[in-house]
Amino acid sequence: MSLIEIDNLSVTFRAKGREVQAVQGVSLTVGEKESFGLVGESGSGKSTILRAICGLAPVSGGTIRIGGKVIPSPRGRDFSRRVQMVFQDPYASLHPRHTIDRTLSEPLAIHGIGNSDARVMQVLEDVGLPTSFRFRYPHQLSGGQRQRVAIARALMLNPQILLLDEPTSALDASVQAEVLNLLNRLRAEHGLTFLMVSHDLAVIDHMCDRVLVMQHGRAVEELSREALAAAQMKTAYARSLFDASADRLLGPTPEPVK
Amino acid sequence: MSSLRLWLTDPNPTSRRQARLGQLWLAWLRIRRNSLAMAGLVIVALLVLVAVFAPLLAPHDPLVQDLGRRLLPPGTPGNLLGTDDFGRDILSRIIYGSRITLYIIGLVAVTAPVLGLLIGTVAGYFGGWVDAVLMRLTDIFLAFPRLILALALVAVLGPGIENAVLAIALTAWPPYARIARAETLTVRNSDYIAAVRLQGAGAVRIIAGHIVPMCLSSVIIRVTLDMAGVILIAAGLGFLGLGVQPPMPEWGLMISSGRKFLFEQWWVATMPGLAIFIVSLGFNLLGDGLRDVLDPRSSQSGSAPK
Repeated sequence: MSLIEIDNLSVTFRAKGREVQAVQGVSLTVGEKESFGLVGESGSGKSTILRAICGLAPVSGGTIRIGGKVIPSPRGRDFSRRVQMVFQDPYASLHPRHTIDRTLSEPLAIHGIGNSDARVMQVLEDVGLPTSFRFRYPHQLSGGQRQRVAIARALMLNPQILLLDEPTSALDASVQAEVLNLLNRLRAEHGLTFLMVSHDLAVIDHMCDRVLVMQHGRAVEELSREALAAAQMKTAYARSLFDASADRLLGPTPEPVK
Repeated sequence: MSSLRLWLTDPNPTSRRQARLGQLWLAWLRIRRNSLAMAGLVIVALLVLVAVFAPLLAPHDPLVQDLGRRLLPPGTPGNLLGTDDFGRDILSRIIYGSRITLYIIGLVAVTAPVLGLLIGTVAGYFGGWVDAVLMRLTDIFLAFPRLILALALVAVLGPGIENAVLAIALTAWPPYARIARAETLTVRNSDYIAAVRLQGAGAVRIIAGHIVPMCLSSVIIRVTLDMAGVILIAAGLGFLGLGVQPPMPEWGLMISSGRKFLFEQWWVATMPGLAIFIVSLGFNLLGDGLRDVLDPRSSQSGSAPK
């Protein structure tokens, strides 16, 4: 049975009398411990799907089921313990006036879980941050370190599902690889299910078992990792996306001759 | 002493308490670098000390009249700042008056900003009709000149120190609500608020723990800058006879009673006026300094321990 089932989901934003259909009739399923990718250009509605799952975007049609049950609205505490999200911009997703310690122990306080001292130290080690960083403020950390803190925060409640909204697009290339490897390790260690958004097929290829290509709020094509590696796309749009990042997908290519 | 300093400035604190005290220490260092703010802090600290030790500092009882020694000029032996029209020592009255001033300031400072913060953050966070109702209420209060509204309230409630405080507090909260609402609107849709909402936090926790800290620095600065205005309004109410009642040694009241002799015995009104001036100046300087200390941008560039 699939862990996440999204059926015919539509999201419509209303602003000043104008309606914007960000997502139109998208369906997807993600199995347990699977890593599923959503890829597409800016404004294709991929991040909106994640936000809709979290209750941060207005769902106008379709259903979202997790573990076979339609998720309640508002989402509630059981949902929080099951699903957590890592946001795109680590500079905006940590409270600037809270220490790392406060940020990480907050979910424990909300859910009335004790022993926060030991848990905070444990999760810092899990994401590869020195425990001496515990009482620093976000502005005292680099972008990669901040994103590790954001990942640590998402892990505090031991969720089953991690929603990743372009977790590395704000980071530079070397840090990007570190964070992706960290995420892969954590997925193996904690048995997590990933639903990951990216505009970069190379990142998706590194992380995901299956990928859904999106354009203009609609699903274009679903590909397995094997199909992606063998460049077996059926639609022209998926192929153009693939061509744009093919050189990085197929490993390091020789320098172009000048 | 130096080991304590090392413990406070340790970049890698080992406990929550040490981290919090270290932050306070850094804030203290920042304010100490600002000489004007320190001057303001010294004036405010002196006000507190004078109020606490008034019975020890005052040379005379502020209420005992001696009609044989009325309207003596400053510098008279035994009456350093002179005496008023009932022969009471002006210095002693100013010293005791600091207690009333501090009492008024203290009560206003714990009521008006708290009320304003609450209304502003709730309005900004929930939006919609809650926002509309609360902000129109704020507009109504803002539409009246403060002193006039305070006068009207005191006239309804009756004169007296508590009613004066109540009137001042009820007229002082709208600017705080406006500031808090504006700050709330800028942070309510940020990712870190979305993250804590996703963790299952309720509205009370989000507002109190995550939004209020973002509003606090601008509100604190506004409070210290407003304190001068509060002192003046309290003095104004006293002057009009609607605040503290005679024979209490309130500064505004003292100016009011000295008005009759302003040309011949200038010191009766001038000395309490000077006291109001100095204390207002102290709060203004402190407010300006706190702006530098609490502003997140300046603290970001100045304090990051490496």
